[in-house]
Amino acid sequence: MNATVIIIFLVIVAMTLVITYFAAKRTNTTSDFYTAGGGLTGWQNGMAIAGDYLSAASFLGIAGSIALFGFDGFLFSIGYLVAYLVVLFVVAEPLRNLGKFTLADMINARFNAKKVRGAAALSSITIVIFYMIAQLVGAGALIQLLFGIDYLWAVLLVGIMMTIYVLFGGMTATSWVQIIKAVLLMVGTVILSFLVLQRFDFSILEMFAQVKTATPHGEAFLNPGVKYKIPLDTISLMLALVLGTAGLPHILMRFFTVRDAKTARSSVMWATWIVGIFYVMTIFLGFGAAAFVGSETIISTNPAGNMAAPLLAQALGGDILMSFISAVAFATILAVVAGLVLSGASAFAHDIYGQIIKKGKATERQQMLAARYASVGVAVLSITLAIFAQSLNVAFLVSLAFCIAASANLPVIVYTIFWKKFNTTGAVSAIFTGLISALVLVSISPSVMNPEAGAAIITGNPIFPLTNPAIVSIPLGFIGGLIGTLLSKESDAKKYAEVKVRANTGGFRQL
Amino acid sequence: MAKTIAGSEKTIAHPNGNERQHAVREERPEGHIPDFQAIEESAGFRELMRRKKAFLVPTTVLFLGLYLLFNVIISYTNLLDATFIGDISWVWVFAFGLFAMTWILVTVYMKRAAKFDEMARETLVEFNYDKEENR
Repeated sequence: MNATVIIIFLVIVAMTLVITYFAAKRTNTTSDFYTAGGGLTGWQNGMAIAGDYLSAASFLGIAGSIALFGFDGFLFSIGYLVAYLVVLFVVAEPLRNLGKFTLADMINARFNAKKVRGAAALSSITIVIFYMIAQLVGAGALIQLLFGIDYLWAVLLVGIMMTIYVLFGGMTATSWVQIIKAVLLMVGTVILSFLVLQRFDFSILEMFAQVKTATPHGEAFLNPGVKYKIPLDTISLMLALVLGTAGLPHILMRFFTVRDAKTARSSVMWATWIVGIFYVMTIFLGFGAAAFVGSETIISTNPAGNMAAPLLAQALGGDILMSFISAVAFATILAVVAGLVLSGASAFAHDIYGQIIKKGKATERQQMLAARYASVGVAVLSITLAIFAQSLNVAFLVSLAFCIAASANLPVIVYTIFWKKFNTTGAVSAIFTGLISALVLVSISPSVMNPEAGAAIITGNPIFPLTNPAIVSIPLGFIGGLIGTLLSKESDAKKYAEVKVRANTGGFRQL
Repeated sequence: MAKTIAGSEKTIAHPNGNERQHAVREERPEGHIPDFQAIEESAGFRELMRRKKAFLVPTTVLFLGLYLLFNVIISYTNLLDATFIGDISWVWVFAFGLFAMTWILVTVYMKRAAKFDEMARETLVEFNYDKEENR
């Protein structure tokens, strides 16, 4: 670790702490804590969504994947981007119009039943924990590589930073950390892309022509099939990506930080442009790394290719650029985990403690305390799990999180908004069918069971053939909701009329 | 600040210490529940729902359909491996088509939604519920 890295790194950390200090002064109520008082503008929230979404997996992972596998590495980006249409068309506006702090609030705008709230909170917590372990384990490994410190210290460092942001600055600090990170990430990526394109004389054709001969895959590098060879598995994974985003708790939570549906909508627009342009640039990063760093060096530094972008920065811009990109990667990790802590804490403190245990009668002070305890709790739990999960291959946890989000959360959201007959039994069974089927199918899939000893958690032949079960578990979530609804006679047309009017007009938010 | 068209005003202290104005309607006592079924069945609201559906259903089918089609084609066939220009194959063209599709649909929706907002506001005005109190 050289002096430049340390300085750039400290500047970024100092900047985020200053923000946290000012945010802390403005964080007095639970609404400030969970949603920054609902006062973010469209572009601010759009940048924060992008900041939440472009995790280290997106930045380092996709750039590395493209460098090693060519087009197949880019495939994720397509799913991640198109997913925003589902967010925009189906969930963003009704969520803002009906909810307060959490997804469970939105569903309960229709049902007001503890069992539905409990089920929704449980699925949110499950998703957050899986996503968080994946991020922290990834973060630990990366920081270890970037800064040369031990895994344990790396995880603790990230864990302590995220806890400080959330505990003191709540959603205001978290949002601004996400915004700063989004700006830094875009700046870093633009600089790297420019340097790469310069080497190819700003000709995309030239870039493709050179990359074609630069990797061991040859011409196949430019076409699908290098990494994903099982058709049904690829389709299942892509389905999880496109439908899962609309069910991720930390993304959903971002729609409560704006004042109305119109702002929610414009924040999705901002996010779509930022995320999309970023993904286009990952191609330059990936191809640049393939051409100027080379697969051998990339793999020898990190077998998954995660170091491709920093190595490219080193090759094109020397130590200073490498330090800057490493610091950006660190900020990226911090922003994502802080957002996750908040969404986990809101499910525990607001849904389970405030609404279920205290029946919505907790005082403001009790709610604030609960929110802060829950944040620390979620942080400690995930740090502990991440320390034990160090040696596991956690890449599947992120796709599992997307799969649960698509199977357990999306069906219940769609039914709540669009289906008149939908009822509490249907809501509970939709959530549990999606959640349990995703969990069970993954635990008997090749991600967990591998005949080769040590390659996965269990040694043995996988019972379920697909790595990602989305293609089965998403329909199951929908069918679960359908059957549950039909089995129960309960139905409330009046309440549905209310939800429909509120979701589509944005009126009556105080009800 | 809060705009009020009808009804008296009262000022309540916000927990932040800021004061926010809330319009409180005299003719509607506290605990009053609006007749949502009447709003739902009104011509204006039904027209709003019809227009939303007419936009959202076909576009959702279109974008999910094209997305799935893309994934099926690249997973099961080599159709898109043919070259488009230089060393760039059709698969990149289709992929960028999906990117462009996303941006275009978002832009078109932003325009449409402005119209939906206007219709929604008209519905609320019609039933006298368009005030800050309903935020």
